[in-house]
Amino acid sequence: MNDHGVGDHDHPDHPDHEPNDVASDLQPKEPTMLLARMAEAVYWAGRYLERAEGTARIVQVHTDAHVDMPVGQDVGWEPLLSIVGVDSEFAERYSHAADAGAADAAEEDVIEFLLRGEENPSSIMGAIASARENLRTARPVIPREAWEACNNLWLVCSDNLAETDSRQNRVQWLRRVIAGCQRINGILLGTMSRDEAMSFLLIGQNLERADLTTRVLDVRSDNLHPQRGDDPYDVVHWMAVLRSLAAYQPFRRAMPARPQGGSTLRFLLQDDRFPRAVSACLTETRAHLKGLARAEDAIEATTNAAMVVASAAVPRLTLGGLSEFLDEVQVALGEIHHHIDDTYFRPAFVGWQPESLAS
Amino acid sequence: MATHRTHHRRIKGVVEAAESPDAPEDGPDPRTAPWPSYDPGEFYDEMVGPHGVPRPAAEALWRHFTELGPEALSERQDAADREMRAIGVTFTVYEGSTGVDRPWPFDIIPRVMPSDEWQLIESGLVQRLNALNLFIDDVYHDQRAVSAGIVPSELVAGSPNFRRECVGVDPPGGIWAHICGSDLIRDGDGTVYVLEDNLRVPSGVSYLLENRMVTKHVFAEMFRHYSIEPVDPYVGRLANMLASVSPSTGDPTIVVLTPGIYNSAYFEHAFLAQQLGVELVEGSDLVVLDDDCVYARTIDGLQRVDVIYRRIDDLFLDPEVFRPDSMLGVPGLVRSWRAGRVALVNAPGAGIADDKKVYSYVPDIIRFFLDEEPILATVPTLRCSDEDSRHYVLSNLERLVVKPANESGGYGVMVGTQATEDEMASTAKQVEEEPNRWVAQPIIPLSTAPTLCEGEVAPRHVDLRPFTLLGPEGAYVTRGGLTRVARQAGSLVVNSSQGGGSKDTWVVDTRGGDSLPLNEPSGSGS
Repeated sequence: MNDHGVGDHDHPDHPDHEPNDVASDLQPKEPTMLLARMAEAVYWAGRYLERAEGTARIVQVHTDAHVDMPVGQDVGWEPLLSIVGVDSEFAERYSHAADAGAADAAEEDVIEFLLRGEENPSSIMGAIASARENLRTARPVIPREAWEACNNLWLVCSDNLAETDSRQNRVQWLRRVIAGCQRINGILLGTMSRDEAMSFLLIGQNLERADLTTRVLDVRSDNLHPQRGDDPYDVVHWMAVLRSLAAYQPFRRAMPARPQGGSTLRFLLQDDRFPRAVSACLTETRAHLKGLARAEDAIEATTNAAMVVASAAVPRLTLGGLSEFLDEVQVALGEIHHHIDDTYFRPAFVGWQPESLAS
Repeated sequence: MATHRTHHRRIKGVVEAAESPDAPEDGPDPRTAPWPSYDPGEFYDEMVGPHGVPRPAAEALWRHFTELGPEALSERQDAADREMRAIGVTFTVYEGSTGVDRPWPFDIIPRVMPSDEWQLIESGLVQRLNALNLFIDDVYHDQRAVSAGIVPSELVAGSPNFRRECVGVDPPGGIWAHICGSDLIRDGDGTVYVLEDNLRVPSGVSYLLENRMVTKHVFAEMFRHYSIEPVDPYVGRLANMLASVSPSTGDPTIVVLTPGIYNSAYFEHAFLAQQLGVELVEGSDLVVLDDDCVYARTIDGLQRVDVIYRRIDDLFLDPEVFRPDSMLGVPGLVRSWRAGRVALVNAPGAGIADDKKVYSYVPDIIRFFLDEEPILATVPTLRCSDEDSRHYVLSNLERLVVKPANESGGYGVMVGTQATEDEMASTAKQVEEEPNRWVAQPIIPLSTAPTLCEGEVAPRHVDLRPFTLLGPEGAYVTRGGLTRVARQAGSLVVNSSQGGGSKDTWVVDTRGGDSLPLNEPSGSGS
């Protein structure tokens, strides 16, 4: 503002030039701040974006795998519900179908529930809508383009919901979701400062990834047990597991064996370089936590989860006890979330005094 | 009235002098006009002057539209609509109790104003805001304007916008209303009037900035040929002004305070916080401690806040002093402000100067505090508390606009030419029962601007909301403003909550001939 008020008209060529920099303008603002509420919003935006992308991959691969299975051997659509962890909500919602005597969940009901139900935060549309709401709240701390890309993803997906009706067009729609989420991630990685808001977003993303990976393993491992030995479809099943986590190619490059229970588990749990492997997600989470103040409890919980994963005896798990083990991992992941929530989003400010008053 | 009449002629004069009202022989041939059937009739049109000749400032645009053709115009409108939707520019309308996000309605045909006219408007707006701030400061201190008989004492004491909590407070630089969103209108002879001074939490500046961004994409080629004043500097000026009122030394912590995501202007609150690079807080994010300082709940604990650009109405700001049931505000906020520990922008109590009864005294307020003649015209306003005026109003309802003195957003307004018998009777009854609450004004025939309506370009009534900033270090006025446009033919209602649309406003430099290369053979325009 300074000396350039309305009198600017004498300088029509420079109607709005600002005063020259003074020394203090060259120093970054100190301190910057991040509201607890904003941190929570970006954390959840990270989680929901990852959930949308992950669910889209899982449904896409399941639709493909369904086609490969011999008639009579297909696994139905319920496993999808378990992966997303919504079996009971689904049963409640579609109880009329069960009453009518339909033994298995119908494809269209499952797809409707997993893709379209905006009221269901685990559905793809629900996750996109929640990510959008959170990014909208967090607009001041994220790049404008990222918000626009998310808004656009939401618009395009809701405008084209009809595509999800047929298997053929559904693939198209799911690709849109995956590409849209990747675009947002790309914008964030390419244009967002590596500040605390970014850390919360990436922590949310990595925890959700780790969670999704364990869910996929849990459900698949349950009904895809390797007891049939040379069953050619065994490989198909494990390939599907890897594909639904975008892990097939990295697996092939990293592991000597063909995709089977043991090698797949080893890779998806303990690999340190593949970004959707649980171990890699935890390494990332810990790195971002280390940049935050007061993160001791959350870091300890992360280290604990990493220990649980690292100490898994994979060969034995293929013979049994996998489900219990994955439960243990999930509890450990939940602990990390719990500490982050307590420390940053819902801190007890009661009785807290600023330094100026305390001294 | 007589004295300042001469002053608004100065504005009108600019328009007329540039018009070349006589035979437009070397002007464009009406047959090559972009919209041959376009006819604003008796109204002042912002783009087209007498004889269908474009006004000089708009001439290059006019030619461009002729070259472009009607289909391309519709295509570009579609592109603009898509972009508005994609970048998520919305406003919220309430249907019952649920808020629905609507895409921001935007008409791509810009409204053009010459920069020399704009300069006069700018000085008029700054003059007005300076005077109003002196008046507000006076109201909460010595009340010299009342003692001198400039304004009646009941105008101050009886106003619902008078805040006794503000008496004796000294905000930095004596400035209470730092941000003003004035409503300007133009009548049939081209005179520009201030219709309202919005000094509380005026909104719309985000739409002004977004409209320009979309226009730049839609008419990119025009910006190469036209010297159009930029609107972007507003945000930087706003940031400087906010920093300049900080009570602390060193880098101030500035926040935007919003009522939350369900507020109809939430889009703007988030937009401004993002543009300013500051946090967007809700009441629950802030706390006032025993040291009377305001703190924000951050991930690192509590952090001191110095300046609050608040977008919450006075009465919801602080449940300790105003509405105790407010969940939006911050207990102790006014205490902190009174102690000089935090700056509130705009200050509480600033609304005393923007009710419609005070409006009628603004010319006298300007003369009293600044010893200057008002630059901008004020619409003659009858106060129904005055018996003669009331009598006149009641017997001329069909020729007047009757409005409540303390409402904003167009609520409760009766336009005589458009009201039903019942509406008139109901207004008359209310005026008789509570004359103090009502004022009346002649119906100003608002100017029109070409607007794309279902594929056809037709005249629609417009107003204009520029934004003025005032801080201890100076004043700044946006170059142009948010032009609001009524969508229905003949309608005077431009509020977006009531279906109005918007336009980009171009303040163009018409003085330098080289700024109009599209205009080579023409003799007019410089």
